[in-house]
Amino acid sequence: MIEFTLDGRPASAQEGELLVHAAARNGVFVPTLCHDDKLEPYGGCRMCVVGVEGSPRPLPACATRVIEGMVVSTNSNVPQLQKTLTEMLLSEHLNADPGGRPNELVDLARELGAEAPLILPDAKREPYSDRNRLMGYEPDTCILCNRCVRYTQEVMQCSALSLEGRGPEARIVPTWERSWLDTECELCGGCLSVCPTGAIYEKFLEGAGVEERQLEQTKTTCTFCGVGCQIDLNVDPETKRIVKVTSKPEYVSNEGDLCVKGRFSFNFVHHPDRLTEPLVRGEDGALHPASWEEALRAAADGLKGVIRRHSAQAIGVLASARLTNEENYLIQKLARIGLGTNSVHSCEAT
Amino acid sequence: MIGSNTTEAHPVLALRIKKAVRKGATLVVADPRAIWLTKIAKRHLQLRPGSDVWLLNAIMHTILEEGLEAEEYVREQTEDFEAVREVVSRYPPEEAERWTGVPAEAIRATAREYATERHAAIFYTLGITEHACGVDNIWSLANLVLMTGHLGYESTGLNALRGQNNVQGLNDSGANPTYLPGYQPVDDPVVRAKFSEAWGAEVPERAGFRLDQIMSGLHDDRIKALYLIGENPGHTEPNAHHVAEGLSKLEFLVSQDIFLSDTAERYADVVLPASSFAEKDGTFTNTERRVNRVRAAVPLPGNARGDRQIVLDLARELGCDWPEYPDAESVWNELADLCPNWAGIRYFRLEDEGLQWPCASVDDEGSRFLHEKTTARPSGRGKFHPVEYQPPIEEPDADYPFVLSTGRTLYHYNSGAMTMREDGITDKQRDPFFEISAEDASSLGVADGDWMRLVSRRGDLQARAQVSSRVFPGLVWMALHFAEAKVNWLTHDVGDPLIGTPEYKVSAVRLEVV
Repeated sequence: MIEFTLDGRPASAQEGELLVHAAARNGVFVPTLCHDDKLEPYGGCRMCVVGVEGSPRPLPACATRVIEGMVVSTNSNVPQLQKTLTEMLLSEHLNADPGGRPNELVDLARELGAEAPLILPDAKREPYSDRNRLMGYEPDTCILCNRCVRYTQEVMQCSALSLEGRGPEARIVPTWERSWLDTECELCGGCLSVCPTGAIYEKFLEGAGVEERQLEQTKTTCTFCGVGCQIDLNVDPETKRIVKVTSKPEYVSNEGDLCVKGRFSFNFVHHPDRLTEPLVRGEDGALHPASWEEALRAAADGLKGVIRRHSAQAIGVLASARLTNEENYLIQKLARIGLGTNSVHSCEAT
Repeated sequence: MIGSNTTEAHPVLALRIKKAVRKGATLVVADPRAIWLTKIAKRHLQLRPGSDVWLLNAIMHTILEEGLEAEEYVREQTEDFEAVREVVSRYPPEEAERWTGVPAEAIRATAREYATERHAAIFYTLGITEHACGVDNIWSLANLVLMTGHLGYESTGLNALRGQNNVQGLNDSGANPTYLPGYQPVDDPVVRAKFSEAWGAEVPERAGFRLDQIMSGLHDDRIKALYLIGENPGHTEPNAHHVAEGLSKLEFLVSQDIFLSDTAERYADVVLPASSFAEKDGTFTNTERRVNRVRAAVPLPGNARGDRQIVLDLARELGCDWPEYPDAESVWNELADLCPNWAGIRYFRLEDEGLQWPCASVDDEGSRFLHEKTTARPSGRGKFHPVEYQPPIEEPDADYPFVLSTGRTLYHYNSGAMTMREDGITDKQRDPFFEISAEDASSLGVADGDWMRLVSRRGDLQARAQVSSRVFPGLVWMALHFAEAKVNWLTHDVGDPLIGTPEYKVSAVRLEVV
């Protein structure tokens, strides 16, 4: 541990710890925008500047490591600097709240009492459209913090996105301004998950009746591979439909990261092809809707008939990795003592 | 990484590997295809499909030749080492090069790096298991791990990456002909007596059939009825035309699922509309044995029912007198009460994050490492199994000159029942395709995107050629996701002699221009 001074009080930090983390552990919250714990220190937006004794100018807490005896101040001229920076960002932030998405800049502005002093005449950026149906980008909401580009480079290690243009023309684009579908982008949506302002967003939410902030979240486990990513199903409280899937950095196993299936493949849950009625094959050879009572009777009678004519050993039961432990437990119990066979297995035999 | 296309099959786990490599870890990829991870790997061992035993035995040959084995670990913690020493002495790297296509020097270098690094882990997936010699492949990997003592501590071990969300839990909960829940053998009378007493009914003594035996039973009159829950064997089992023929002979078929599969549409007598993961409570167990909560977020559609409810309703209809099981937790508690390694895992402990079994009591924090103190075998000693190379069942010949290997892509999931219904994803990948080398494409006169016919002894299909540097001449690769071009029409159904796992990774095909 090393000792330093934070706002006039003694504080301690781990060797090599970033100032932003050390301050938080000592009870001082330093606001950030471009910082993300998943990514390398960047220090791009300067929102986290703090005063450090001996330094001629304020330093970014997200990119400065604590050293022994450092004297740090977050309360002299720092709040005024943060407010000014926020005002500068707001003056280019024409579309502050598209779709009611969470927006760290707007939250911060509210906290600091910052408002755009003026709108820059050349602030309007060229709109961006892409034929993919999953992700959109709203340049007028983007603050060019580069978190998305850094996520693609550092975490995914791909070159799907880049920061193009300068000054008022600057914006984030898929490589060579091609569609997201035509680059090496794997549609994982990591870029939108780290975007602080909702500039990159789930496209299918456009025109949804409910604001993102009002979605109900249920934490569960992803249904695809065996990694067991922890996810939040975001449900529209009125329609009771899943409208998006998110995750959080503190979740074990995936640390908030998801893949294309985990993040974007949930519409199947509400697909019109879902089976909604039991079906029983009739004399005509076709499947017909039936009541549960009829279907369960038919299932039980059919299975009992096979046991009677042959034996329980003539029945195979295939359970599934799609199901929960509890369901699989009941299925094997049914096979063994309900039907009388140990022949219960699944395609997971591989 | 061996036989694992991690960035596509386990994309989020692959992020950890990418991060480790970025921080300086050495990555070696052994795979017949130049998968994404080879871009950041120090070395790619591009072996011929089915030659894993040659590769692994040659790695062990080098380790023993150069005296790099963990002598003390082998002496104190293992048994039957000498038999492996004898076998691998006959697998020198130079000869391995001829069988595997991997340069002898690359084999030697990998052996040295793996044996001398204290934190060295092996990850594998179905590229290892889906062979007629799948068990041999696993034993070879286990031999390598034991020989070097890479077991029971951080960043080591032999790590199976489970392909589906609850492969681990499915087996843990006893949906297995050999084991009752918690891997308690059904052929042990004491175990049977314990479950019979708890359940108030006799657990049958007669051995059950494995999946492959059930499938072959469709043809030899052993199996007359199937109860399928969330399974579509007409798509996912090998030699699928033959499977369909078998299904057509059934006297009775029940399908419990969320969509009407093509198998159910043609052959089911009763279809029961069931629940998706978003509509139910319970637990899934991930690939690191972590039991995670599953929570219902949305209501069931129409008259569909939860799978727990359906099984209970059917049990009642069959005359079973079971407890109420008002919720998933009551089922879990019965499982945990009967299974010592799960006894300490209870729902109230899973609220924030999952727990890894073994977990013996409610004050047990669970186990990060299965073999932490000693190997988890009754003797406490890791067992070496000597393995000799066996060639694949079906090798290419003049009529069927290409090796076909199969697998999964990033964008889709198994039979495609879920992901093929996602427009945003099918925009990226929809048509059936197969990977072919530029050399083969050129000699057959086909260009990228051209449709071709793939023909095996068991069936044929049409797919688009994707000219790719991922495969080498003589090898083609195709995913299993496409309903209109089921690659399992082509695969053969001779599996591993011990456990029946099909050899999805090696079949012989020919290619025809259409």
